[in-house]
Amino acid sequence: MLIDAKEAFTSNCEDALITQVKSGDQQAYAQLYSLHVKRVYALCLRLLADKEHAEDATQEVFVQLWHKIASFEGQSQFSTWLHSVTSNIAISYLRKHKNWLQKVVSFEQSGMDEQSAADCQGLNGLDKLVLRLPERARMVFVLHAIEGYRHEEIASMLDMAVGSSKSQYHRARQLLKEWYENE
Amino acid sequence: MSKQNFEQFLTLSLNETESELTPEKDLWPGIERAIAKPKNEIKAKNSGWNKLAAIAACTVAALLTVQLLVKTPQNNSVVAMSDFFTKQKQSLLVQYQDSPAVTDNWQQQLRELEQAESAIKQALENEPNNSALLSMLAQVYQQQLDLINKVHAPKWQSI
Repeated sequence: MLIDAKEAFTSNCEDALITQVKSGDQQAYAQLYSLHVKRVYALCLRLLADKEHAEDATQEVFVQLWHKIASFEGQSQFSTWLHSVTSNIAISYLRKHKNWLQKVVSFEQSGMDEQSAADCQGLNGLDKLVLRLPERARMVFVLHAIEGYRHEEIASMLDMAVGSSKSQYHRARQLLKEWYENE
Repeated sequence: MSKQNFEQFLTLSLNETESELTPEKDLWPGIERAIAKPKNEIKAKNSGWNKLAAIAACTVAALLTVQLLVKTPQNNSVVAMSDFFTKQKQSLLVQYQDSPAVTDNWQQQLRELEQAESAIKQALENEPNNSALLSMLAQVYQQQLDLINKVHAPKWQSI
């Protein structure tokens, strides 16, 4: 009951902030940023497996959000909408920041090295393994297992076949299992 | 205590996954600067000829190097690639010589990339047609061009 009341209060505050932001209030936007930055960063870090890129992408999310927020009509929860905006921006960030050689020969970026993943604060054991996964397997695993997207949705977001999304998920699980059992 | 099996570990971990993580640096100042600029200023800055020329130079460099890597894997590939990228790099450095850099240590970063370049070239002396090494060399060259572009035309200043 107490939790419901708290959630309702937060939601009302958030609605008020969104209205203020839509009218161009930057102070309200700073508050909205404070409410959501940690969730946005967590998703960016898991998808990009690089702290600096995750920070850059988080900034990009909030810059784009400032310009896009007028199109938020409140039909879904703001956090759900922001979540979808973040996933799409992180995915296009990754595409944009591939170097020309990766684009031309389309070889896959490996994940974070073991030591860097271990050094990431606030991550549990699974997260540290997930950051080590190769790019496609990692993105599919994060979107499906952690964020709850369906393979059909992931296929459309990542521009791949549904079967590829499923096989990348299987590949991710196999690698995670292997690493976990060898730890 | 025995280690739990993978399925248990996965289920438990997914339930406990933190939905929030704190970035190490304060990201707000960059966002605040970016949203403070009016949209027409963004367009004006982004249309700068310098930036276009730099991007064009990098693209041409990339395409020609792909030709070198994929179509002509000969003993002189390394020399040809080095000559080409060195010219691109010099041209960028000349182009940006009057522009302030956003970080103080970019030359140090460039030196580190140049050291990596030397190490790869040394390895290529023994295996001049090793495509993995050639790819690595091309990547290091690309990183040098990206670094020079990035520190002189930073994203959060131009937005």
